[in-house]
Amino acid sequence: MARVKKYKQRKTLMIVMLAPYLLLLLFLGVVPLIMAFFEIPAKSLTNPNGGFDAFWIVLHDFRFATAAKHVGGFMLIFVPLMIVFVIGMALMLDVNNSKWKKYLRLAYIIPASVSGAVAVLMWYVILEPTLSPFKMVLRFFGIKEATQIWQTQNLVYILAIMAFFAMAGNWILIQYGSLQSISTEIVEAARVDGCTGLQLALRIKLPLIKKYVIYMGVLVFAGGLQIFVEPQLLTTSVYNGIANAWSFDQLSYSLAFTTGDFGGASALSIMLLVPSLIGALLVIFKTDMFDEAKTPGKKLQGEG
Amino acid sequence: MALLEKPEVAPVKNRKIRAQSRWGLALVNGWLIFFAIISVIPMLWLILAPSKTDPQVTHRNPLSFGSFHGYVKAWKNLQFFDGGVIGQWVINSVMYTAAIVVIGTITASLAGFVISASKIRFKRTFLISTLIMMLVPPVALVIPLFVEMDKVSLIDNPWSVILISSLYPFGAFLSYIYYTTTIPPELYESARLDGCNDIKLYTKIALPLSWPLISLLAFFAFIGNWANYFMPYIFLPSSQNYTLPLGLGFLFYSTPAINPGVGATSVPILKPEIALAGVLVAVPIMIVFMVSQKRLVRGMLAGSIKS
Repeated sequence: MARVKKYKQRKTLMIVMLAPYLLLLLFLGVVPLIMAFFEIPAKSLTNPNGGFDAFWIVLHDFRFATAAKHVGGFMLIFVPLMIVFVIGMALMLDVNNSKWKKYLRLAYIIPASVSGAVAVLMWYVILEPTLSPFKMVLRFFGIKEATQIWQTQNLVYILAIMAFFAMAGNWILIQYGSLQSISTEIVEAARVDGCTGLQLALRIKLPLIKKYVIYMGVLVFAGGLQIFVEPQLLTTSVYNGIANAWSFDQLSYSLAFTTGDFGGASALSIMLLVPSLIGALLVIFKTDMFDEAKTPGKKLQGEG
Repeated sequence: MALLEKPEVAPVKNRKIRAQSRWGLALVNGWLIFFAIISVIPMLWLILAPSKTDPQVTHRNPLSFGSFHGYVKAWKNLQFFDGGVIGQWVINSVMYTAAIVVIGTITASLAGFVISASKIRFKRTFLISTLIMMLVPPVALVIPLFVEMDKVSLIDNPWSVILISSLYPFGAFLSYIYYTTTIPPELYESARLDGCNDIKLYTKIALPLSWPLISLLAFFAFIGNWANYFMPYIFLPSSQNYTLPLGLGFLFYSTPAINPGVGATSVPILKPEIALAGVLVAVPIMIVFMVSQKRLVRGMLAGSIKS
């Protein structure tokens, strides 16, 4: 009996310790998801009868197609650029054996500290011929005024490059780290078999870090789909009107806070959540990145 | 033995391969250095800009240095904006980030510990939902979160941002991995036999052994939240509650420094002042990144690389 009492007491203490995180997870993760579903049928000016027509109404909003075009174009540039460039850089860094490698890594991580508002400021400066530290490059391309570049149709490229620089450095270091997990014996054996540097990189190392590439791909994709801060800041605070409702999240923001259509905004949120969820499930169940979580307590089974 | 013999042959071939690809290697190294320079230049501009006057920023070499007095002057000029509200933004940024780092780190570390050291039910469900929350970007839930915060009257209250950002599934997952891989269950068992209850188990055994984890958790919480623009933008509409990044955006909006749409104002906020505000946002993150780049790699790959 004493044992049972002690076990129960132990369980209570454990639950008390888990509770703070569990409450946050419940109220800021699960509850909002459920609320989003219940919010969709809310009546609004655009959906006067309420109901799940909200999905249709959002899909037929003239801004939806434009946002889809913008975000689609942005993703087509940003995601492959990230993956190819980051992996390429990590593989090259892996070949470099010099003692100044650590300084290179330090340099690569610097642009990662420039995101959001500072990134907008930075790119305003870089693309402004009177201020830019890359004046020569701008001059070479015949750019005399910033307005030649800052056009709505160019934003797909500019925002892709902005996002790329904000994220590439971190991922180069992470993928470089993943390359360090490859045993030197495998690399040596391939070398002995006459592999060239390029073959070694593409045929031996790349397949061995495939799961980390997928992991990165999913996080980069999910993050890119939700682009908001940079176009929103540009359009409200720098070049007025250049990117109104440019991305899905901006449209969702505008539906909720300009039109007061929380049903439509929630419907759009849910639609955007689906691809992110699929990506997350893909990483969890189709790679062995998180095996530790899929079979919890395997190591602790003997514990009483 | 065969394995041991191989290296004796290898150096000869390696030398040959290296000689063949010397040019390739030079190309690779050249490119690596080129990209490093490209990476550093914009930040260098940002740090140097406040040392100059506004005309100097435009007319002098973009990477030239003005004077140390320039920084003091730019800071003083920033005080003219909205009654020196920038001071409040700095305080807010520090306070909110500190609260998020502390709450996030404690809750995540406790959760990871409990999941690894106990036999509670729904362990798998709990871990999978944590992983899903970790991989889905927080922006995706912002509209329903807004509706929820509105229901509990936390809009324009810093606690909305603090609580939302303190949910730290990545941290909980890292902790779980850390505790399961570094602390053997036998240690808990013998402590329990010695009469330790589970809270003591955490404070006396797990915590003292997990300072590397705690610093990792604090690092990721800091870099994720110091420069966060999005959450405060949605939840904190009054400028008194702004954080520095949000304030920086507000400066773009309300001064002619980089917004051609704003006419001349009497407030002396020009490019050096804006750049100084940018420095205050970016430099702390840069320093933390530079001193803890190993933490970044270790954390992001945790659970999959067993070293």
